[in-house]
Amino acid sequence: MRPAPVLLASVLVFAAIEGAVFHTGIYPWIISPDSSTGSVESVLRNERLRPKTGAQVLGIGDSRMLLECRISNEHAAETGYTFGLIGTAGASPRSWYYMLRDADPDARLYRAVVLAVESYDDADKWGDEADNDADLSYLIARLRLTDLWEFSRSYHDPYQQWKAARGILLKGLVYKRDFEDLLRHPVARIKYVKQSYRDSFMWIYNYQGPPDSVADYRVDFNARTITPPPNADPVRLEGLKNWLLAPLPPESGGQSRYMKYWLGRIYEHYRGSPTRLIFLRLPRSGWARPDQPRYNPHSSVRDLAAQPNVTLIDEHFFDSLEKPELFRDQLHLNGPGMDRFSVMIAQEVSRILGPPR
Amino acid sequence: MLFNTPQFFAFLLVTIALFYLSPKPIRRWILLAASYFFYMSWNWRFIPLLLSLTVIDYVAAIWMERVENPGRRKALLVLSLAANLGFLGFFKYYNFLASMLAEVMRRDPHAFALSIVLPLGISFHTFQSMSYVVDVYRREQKAIRDPIDYALFIAFFPQLVAGPIVRAGEFFADYYKWMPPVSEEKLRGVLWILLGLVKKMALADQFAQIADSYFQNLAAHPGAPAAWSGVGAFAMQIFFDFSGYTDMAIGMALLLGFHFPVNFRRPYLAFSITDFWHRWHITLSRWLRDYLYIPLGGNRHGALMTYRNLILTMLLGGLWHGASWNFVIWGGYHGALLGLERVLGRKRFQESPHWLLYPFRTVITFVLVCIGWVFFRAANLTDSMYVLRQMFSMHGKGGLIPAWLGVLLAVSLVIALLEEKTEWIERLAKGPAWAYVAAVVALLFCVELVGVTEKAIPFVYFQF
Repeated sequence: MRPAPVLLASVLVFAAIEGAVFHTGIYPWIISPDSSTGSVESVLRNERLRPKTGAQVLGIGDSRMLLECRISNEHAAETGYTFGLIGTAGASPRSWYYMLRDADPDARLYRAVVLAVESYDDADKWGDEADNDADLSYLIARLRLTDLWEFSRSYHDPYQQWKAARGILLKGLVYKRDFEDLLRHPVARIKYVKQSYRDSFMWIYNYQGPPDSVADYRVDFNARTITPPPNADPVRLEGLKNWLLAPLPPESGGQSRYMKYWLGRIYEHYRGSPTRLIFLRLPRSGWARPDQPRYNPHSSVRDLAAQPNVTLIDEHFFDSLEKPELFRDQLHLNGPGMDRFSVMIAQEVSRILGPPR
Repeated sequence: MLFNTPQFFAFLLVTIALFYLSPKPIRRWILLAASYFFYMSWNWRFIPLLLSLTVIDYVAAIWMERVENPGRRKALLVLSLAANLGFLGFFKYYNFLASMLAEVMRRDPHAFALSIVLPLGISFHTFQSMSYVVDVYRREQKAIRDPIDYALFIAFFPQLVAGPIVRAGEFFADYYKWMPPVSEEKLRGVLWILLGLVKKMALADQFAQIADSYFQNLAAHPGAPAAWSGVGAFAMQIFFDFSGYTDMAIGMALLLGFHFPVNFRRPYLAFSITDFWHRWHITLSRWLRDYLYIPLGGNRHGALMTYRNLILTMLLGGLWHGASWNFVIWGGYHGALLGLERVLGRKRFQESPHWLLYPFRTVITFVLVCIGWVFFRAANLTDSMYVLRQMFSMHGKGGLIPAWLGVLLAVSLVIALLEEKTEWIERLAKGPAWAYVAAVVALLFCVELVGVTEKAIPFVYFQF
């Protein structure tokens, strides 16, 4: 045997099998619905299969984008629009771009895409969001070989760049943990996947947020204290302290650059299409902290608002929801908060778009 | 630069390319430069030590060859060995001895301790170097005249940090009659590298996580099933880790036209402790036999002396692994078992038993080896005794090894059994091509899907 042809054949056979299993829909079909990749795949599949009659609006964001489509769609007769949501816990603007690219490849499925952002000022975070390790796991089934350069270069840390590049080339490396889990419980996995295929749309569609709230907590920003009720959940208390009392991260402009790039990519995807991009600023918390980030007149969303077909919902539109009785923790609305949030979105989007054509 | 990192593979590819693209006279310079670069990538401060030992033994051997007077030859040998053992002793055993001295003097255990960084692979390259000097002293090996040749023998990167411990005779037989590897050797080399990679990343590193979680928090895993699975996981980790490294070293050497001796021959299929030591870390066992056991008298001075020599050799073999009482006990335990097998009848433990008895004997041997691993892995004697008590307790529920890893282990066992009978891994390189391709593809998928890639876990034997 001559080494070069045999070794080349080995690599080609490996690449062919790897490509057939992991670069197509074969493996993502059996991925755990509870994994990062699985959660993105579930919401995208549900959205793809959702019957779309009439004018459609799609919401996207992270776990705080608590749009209850069930509630919004109860007002469809009045608003004229039907809502869908591909918001996923932990999904970042980088993930939104790739998710939207696959949910709406021709950029003409929706009358509007509603993007929920944390801040209109591109407030910096403690970590560099560009180096968010989880994005690779969320998106691996969506990433193509042609994304290798852009996606991996969008990380700042060289190790993350390398990890992203090798992950896109050899997707099995990213599916590894899921694969090991599949080996542990293959029968239970297949059963759960089938159940998820059948039921997950309704699980999500009928989800009702929890009724409990943080109304019993007392926040004193002057004394920098939070007084919990008796028997308070220590995790919830710690979360409130970190979100409300910890110092704000220093301004570096990093978040702005990151947001401008990825929101810009989303805008490019929809440029010239009939779809309007509507940004909303999420209700911040049950209490508005006094030291808000500095007003940024040239933030990503404010700059984009100058473009045609881009609208910003008034920054303070959801301030009325920033009450402790409407939040279940430091970040997330509870059931009653979600209901009101969903109605407000439906009505405001309908007002911005006008009656469906 | 660990063998299982992309950086190392880039380094290997560049080295191989430069080696074969260069004119023959400068190839040795390329290998030497690559070897020193490889060593420097760990810590450049280790280089003066490596150079010093190389120079000392190089000069000592040449001088020894020129001198006829036996007394002066012996003095030169002692000088060389003292330098090697002096460096080894200082870097590896100083703090151990200092803590014992402090204990004797009832001082703080760290009273005389120094902050010493153990140079990588010092135990391996000093042993390799010492074997060369002893061979020259015994006139079994001619002194190497060219310093570059000798420096390459000591520093050759595939075996520099964790063996196999290659004899000068073996290395220079290839070196002076260097022939480019034939097609079959190239294919075999690639297969060994991939097999080593799978052993390290897909098996050793998986078992390492289980063994670490057990040994780093013993109190959290009480009971016999947890103890046996924790110790069993370490047994698998150390075997797959070390033999994986050796397989890769053998494969790399083959691609460069060198033939390293086999270091592992499926040791967990051994039917006795005697057989185990014919299969485990063979180049160290061979070194200990030729340069310690036989010079001590071997089995030439009666049964009692033989047992003494066996136990002494194994005690020192244990101490070679590291400066701690646990390693001494591990060595002594194996020495005692070897002695016991001699008492019970040497032939019985050297010759393969009846096939019906073979599995039973293999399981017994594996259990005995696992008991020894407790001392090897546990942080101290107290932990070792705790683990042993747990192993032989009658309580506890549930092991730590997940079912899928058990399946992977079972597949490895089947491959090992087939290899034991047919040596099919060696034969794969001879064809047919589809079988070779299938094997390579399977190995690549093992690395991709089961290999631990999120963190680079160092090879266990790098610490020695």
